[in-house]
Amino acid sequence: MFEVFRITLKGIFRDRVFHGILVAAVLLPLVPSVSQLSMRQVTELSITLSLSLISFILLLLSVFLGGTSLWKDIDRRYTFSVLSLPISRTRFLLGRFLGLAAFLLLAALVLGVVACVVVSITAGNYPPDRPVVWGNVFAAIVFDALKYILLVAAAVALSTVSTSFFLPVFGTIATMLVGSASQQVYEYVQSPAGEKLTPLLRQCANALYYVLPNFSAFDLKVNAIYGVPLSGQGTLLTVLYFAVYVAMLLLVATVLFSRREMK
Amino acid sequence: MNAIEIAGLSKTYTGKKWTRVDALKNLSLEVAQGEIFGFLGPNGAGKSTTIKTLLGLIRPSSGSARLMGEDIGTAAARKHVGYLPENPAFYDYLNAEEYLLFVGRSFGMPEGLLGQRCAEVLQRLQLWDARKRPMRSYSKGMVQRVGIAQVLIHDPEVYILDEPMSGLDPVGRALVKEIMTELKQRGKCVFFSTHIVSDVESVCDRVGIITKGELRSVERVEAVLERGVVGYQLTLKDREGSRELYVPREQLTTTVGELAVQGVEITLLEPRRKSLEDFFLEIVTGTAV
Amino acid sequence: MAANRSLPRPIVWSVSAGILVACYLALIFPFARYLHQKPVQEKLGVVPKAEFLQLVSADQKQLVAEGLTLKVLLYFGTLAEKRNNELQLPPDYQAMSRLLHAAVKLDPYNMDDYYFAQSILVWDVKQIKIANALLEYGMKYRTWDFYLPFFAGFNYGYFLKDYPKAASNYMRAAELSKNPLFATLAGRYLNDAGQSDLAIAYLNTMVLSATNPSIKKTLQVRLEALKKARSIEVAAAAYAKATGIPAESVEELVRQGYLPEVPRDPYGGKFYLDPDGKVKTTSNYASPVKKTKSAPQ
Repeated sequence: MFEVFRITLKGIFRDRVFHGILVAAVLLPLVPSVSQLSMRQVTELSITLSLSLISFILLLLSVFLGGTSLWKDIDRRYTFSVLSLPISRTRFLLGRFLGLAAFLLLAALVLGVVACVVVSITAGNYPPDRPVVWGNVFAAIVFDALKYILLVAAAVALSTVSTSFFLPVFGTIATMLVGSASQQVYEYVQSPAGEKLTPLLRQCANALYYVLPNFSAFDLKVNAIYGVPLSGQGTLLTVLYFAVYVAMLLLVATVLFSRREMK
Repeated sequence: MNAIEIAGLSKTYTGKKWTRVDALKNLSLEVAQGEIFGFLGPNGAGKSTTIKTLLGLIRPSSGSARLMGEDIGTAAARKHVGYLPENPAFYDYLNAEEYLLFVGRSFGMPEGLLGQRCAEVLQRLQLWDARKRPMRSYSKGMVQRVGIAQVLIHDPEVYILDEPMSGLDPVGRALVKEIMTELKQRGKCVFFSTHIVSDVESVCDRVGIITKGELRSVERVEAVLERGVVGYQLTLKDREGSRELYVPREQLTTTVGELAVQGVEITLLEPRRKSLEDFFLEIVTGTAV
Repeated sequence: MAANRSLPRPIVWSVSAGILVACYLALIFPFARYLHQKPVQEKLGVVPKAEFLQLVSADQKQLVAEGLTLKVLLYFGTLAEKRNNELQLPPDYQAMSRLLHAAVKLDPYNMDDYYFAQSILVWDVKQIKIANALLEYGMKYRTWDFYLPFFAGFNYGYFLKDYPKAASNYMRAAELSKNPLFATLAGRYLNDAGQSDLAIAYLNTMVLSATNPSIKKTLQVRLEALKKARSIEVAAAAYAKATGIPAESVEELVRQGYLPEVPRDPYGGKFYLDPDGKVKTTSNYASPVKKTKSAPQ
């Protein structure tokens, strides 16, 4: 499993897609100058921009590297040579996933360190009304990474059944959209405006709400930008939710992948 | 214990429009340690299906098989095997050395031994100079040689090679044959598939012929060749110079006697036989004896 | 895995599936409750500067703008619902206003934003000048739309008492709509008297054209309050005319039979007559808001 993990990381670092996406990180040092556009909250804007850029880069990485990793193995027939080694499919899958997850965490941390430097430069030049709560900034970046790791787990699960590029990539994008919207849709359905919907539709929406991934809990941007205190219980619930949801996705992926025939 | 034991292996696919495709029908076969077995059949006969089933890439519909006594489909069974896929593809962002190290570690080889073996096989397969180049820059023949190298690196008991000669130049083919013979001498089992008859003729102990998912014949290569002798080509030398003469098998003794009486010198005697190719074609086209 | 060797895989799989599903069920309801109770202003989130959004939204500016608008509408809808459940939170008007401004920067044609700004922000935040600046910005683009000058005219007349500007805006609305009603309205701004009637007429128009249920409800409550205030005004005027002295209190009007009962303020306040004889309410036409914690900047 550790070997697959290592190979996965090596593969990502040598991937041209990764190099391409990395170019987007060049925008990060530009944040201080763009932040001066704000009149009243330069530091807050610099945190906003940094977090959004990191989030965007992580999204690209998880869709285009996470979503294609396993599919590429199958499509390019790497699986014949690798799965015939004495590695069980479960371990192969876990190795792949852990490699991707470690990579996302690493990318988030590296980008996060750069972002912290960028924000502290801005904060030095334009002291904010309220001091930057670095713990919250850190938490926001880590939870963002967790969100994308969850997304990668979904991508891996989709890859185990797909025979083409479309399902993993577009399925991952769709998961992202659904996961980001589910809380809002739920609130809408619960609101008086939602009462006009048919009961069946409302029940379906409610059922889906409890089954589909929910990414809104991972969004701690407000806490990072405006120093709003984090809820300890909420953070714990989110971490547990992450762990259980990822474990479920991986179990499904393992079962599907172990039963898949490599023709 | 036989290296490979296959008992009643069948594989049925659901093809397009829900049609049943019998890719493999009740195949039983045993291959001993120290034996080179050629698995011969036309394209689409079920050679690769058999091999992939042995490696656990495909689940059999019925039947069972063991590799060195371990049930197929387990990591334990694969531990004994070096497998070369047909037209292999390896992580092309790695170089040959990295890939071999990856394979060796997956087999749990100790690092010291692995480094030494890695250098040996890279040199043996003439990949030493290219070992630091990513595999995406390799030619087809080079990738095939990496495939052979990754089979050899962990020195397994059983070698399962799917079309090992494809993509290789004559020098490469000769090298692979040499390696197979060496493995046999060291008591290893080599099971390889091919659709080229001459490959089998030159190295195999036994040959199995498969068509349409059914194993038609398993024979010792020597026996096929002996049975197949139909006559002899004689090169003769007398006062008028040298000439050639074809003699049918049953007339050889009498002809040689007559020639001796006439004082003709026999400079060369070559058996003329129905080749393995003919044997193969007879079975495949259904005109078997 | 050692377990895999000793136990058949389907058993391992189904046992782990069972455990995980149990964990998930134990977790998902507290998790959903936590998300549902998360303070609303956190959900409105923050949006990058409009200039930045303009850059990154490329050729999808309308879509991004619509996204912002919907975000505000959903936020407001949730808030309106929570107000009914007596769960009161300070609405983050600043953030709503910021989002709407960003949205019109991206898509100056999006009527939802102007409509929403006029329906809610004007009454509740009293940022009339900002609202009018927004409406005038919109008029540059939506040159065919009589609603924008109609709104602006009302704001000038009712809130800012700038009657010439109110009249000119109503004239423009009349021109665009070919509806003489607006011209008549413009005429009324020549004196201060018809204020309440004007507001009622204005709100009636707004209620009729409202499609969003949250907004509609908000407007209806306001309309009801104004109608009640108007009924007190009428009663007070009749009292003054009959007795020659202004009424002391609303209760006095009821006692003397000028009003059937003390009208109830739908905002929960109490109507009273101020020393000038004007009808006021303790609620000041806004829902009582319990400040749970100070809203972030």
